[in-house]
Amino acid sequence: MARFLTETIGTLSDAGSLFVVAAGLTLVFGAMRVINLAHGTFYMYGAFAVTTFAGTASGLRFWVAVVVAALVVAALGAVVQLGVVRFVVGKEPLTQLVATFAVLYILADVALHLWGSGARSVSAPLGVSGTFTLAGAYLPVYDLVIIGTAVLVGLVLWLLLSHTSLGWMIRAAVDDPELLQSGGVNLRRLHLAVFATGALLAALAGAIVTPQISVAPGMDQSIIVSSLLVVVIGGLGSVVGTAFAALIIGIADTVGTLVDPTWASTFMYFAVILVLVVRPWGLFGAPER
Amino acid sequence: MARTTSSDAAVVAALGVPAPAAPGSFASRLGRAAVLVAFVALVVMLGLTLAPANALELQYAVSLTLFAVATNLILGFGGLVSFGQGVFYGVGAYTVALGWMHHSLSFTEAMVLAPFFGAAAAIPLGMLALRTRRLYFSLLTLTLSQLAYVIAENQTNLTGGTNGVFGAMVPSWLLDPHTSFLFTVAIVAVAIAILWKIVHSPFGLVLRAIRDNRERVEALGVNVYAHELVAFVISAFFCSLAGSLFVVYSQSSYPEILNWTASGVPVFMAVIGGMYSFFGPVVGAFVYEFASHYLIEYTQDWQLVIGVVLLAIVLLRPDGLAGSLGSLRAWLRRRRPPVDGAPAAAAAAPESGGGPS
Repeated sequence: MARFLTETIGTLSDAGSLFVVAAGLTLVFGAMRVINLAHGTFYMYGAFAVTTFAGTASGLRFWVAVVVAALVVAALGAVVQLGVVRFVVGKEPLTQLVATFAVLYILADVALHLWGSGARSVSAPLGVSGTFTLAGAYLPVYDLVIIGTAVLVGLVLWLLLSHTSLGWMIRAAVDDPELLQSGGVNLRRLHLAVFATGALLAALAGAIVTPQISVAPGMDQSIIVSSLLVVVIGGLGSVVGTAFAALIIGIADTVGTLVDPTWASTFMYFAVILVLVVRPWGLFGAPER
Repeated sequence: MARTTSSDAAVVAALGVPAPAAPGSFASRLGRAAVLVAFVALVVMLGLTLAPANALELQYAVSLTLFAVATNLILGFGGLVSFGQGVFYGVGAYTVALGWMHHSLSFTEAMVLAPFFGAAAAIPLGMLALRTRRLYFSLLTLTLSQLAYVIAENQTNLTGGTNGVFGAMVPSWLLDPHTSFLFTVAIVAVAIAILWKIVHSPFGLVLRAIRDNRERVEALGVNVYAHELVAFVISAFFCSLAGSLFVVYSQSSYPEILNWTASGVPVFMAVIGGMYSFFGPVVGAFVYEFASHYLIEYTQDWQLVIGVVLLAIVLLRPDGLAGSLGSLRAWLRRRRPPVDGAPAAAAAAPESGGGPS
């Protein structure tokens, strides 16, 4: 039972941070039909920014650093949108993939200049560090912070998309951008807001996981693969699908580690292949027209 | 295969596709052949006179041209954006390396088998990937590439794990940089010639027709899926051959050659050089490889420079350097007084006042 609890909480925590990153990716795709390979870059920037802003002190300053990091990276996202992404909206997938990969390359080098090539770490702030005991299992308190953040992000996104005018504009932008524009909505500004929000979510995830990981170059390339797996399983553009898919990936990873560590990291790929064989457009996605 | 080809010819006739650039007049064919021979001669001469280290670098670039052209068979001519060709490149490299490590294959045997292993792997992977279209196809092939990477990295007993396989797997007669350079050039030249034949065959034309208008080709009774799968397998065959040449160059094989960024490299080469031109990816491979190799000597920021180049091309010149060359030629032709018999004469006529037609 204790073992089960430990694994469950760990899995939920991993799935939670993955959901927050992937939600940003799927939000951008849903509203703009752009797949952003530089999305993981925002995650890495969020994490590095926290190591800069939080310093060694680990109290209130950590939380301030998380918020500041997310906002700064959202601004960076706006710059990327204005400088590159708005030119590839509506273009071929190849153009979008190459252009956003170029952004990944460029920002990876910029990150090397800003933070160097070594690994950095941040300790969990007081109050949420250490472990607590439940049914004989020692569980990291910080896992609850990540799970809480993911649930909060999920709720806010759901409310935003289904209960606000911004939400219906985003959905309308996909179905009929021209009609939306003729209705007086500034599509460019809408895209800017969505893309910056996507970057913010990635950065928030990167920032919030810093106490549990070592922050180093290369994070951008590995997290984008996991988030792509998530959005492909969930169905591109579906936030609900993303939540389910993040759980599937998290469980696949945990089960893999328990069954056979040498094959563990392949389980999530097989999960993706299995889903796509059955539903090539993902669990909650729609077939491409 | 014979049946497919004959029906392809019929489809080409039905589509009314203009004849490929291949035939042309005897003079233009001779001219094109002369340019090709001169280019190969130049590369060979360079390889023989360069310092060993530079010859080795040139050899690597030459082997990458095959990787790029093979990838472009499905990318530029088939319209299939695969971020997974690194899988087959890796199969080729690991066939030679593991054949040596587990003492089961000689170098020659492994070199011969490598492309067939790649093609064999491409049959199930292609059947899987081609269930999806467009963006999902790109993302699924990217996933397959990353899966192959993870397997190569974690199955330490089989593949040597993260460090890969290093050792004297290349026979001693191939160790001299100039010999291995000539060996690579010879194999790449033959392989690219075969790919050129395929692209300009009825099969290649139908492939392009599928890229441009899938529904119409389907309506003509063509089995689109079969054509795409065959193209995928042929591409994998030559990607694996390029991968086996990587071992000749580096005498090693390691997981990084098959992850998703490695799979992206031939795509970027094709985009830089121009994916709608057969030789565009060759140019792209040279540009990409020399840029990254020489930039690394001068600056830490080679990724930044290549990123900017990629951005500039994809945003400003989507048809790559080859496309730019084409528009440059058209521009020159318009400025020059029309040469007798040149097709440009007709285009130039209206501008020069328009004589009697």
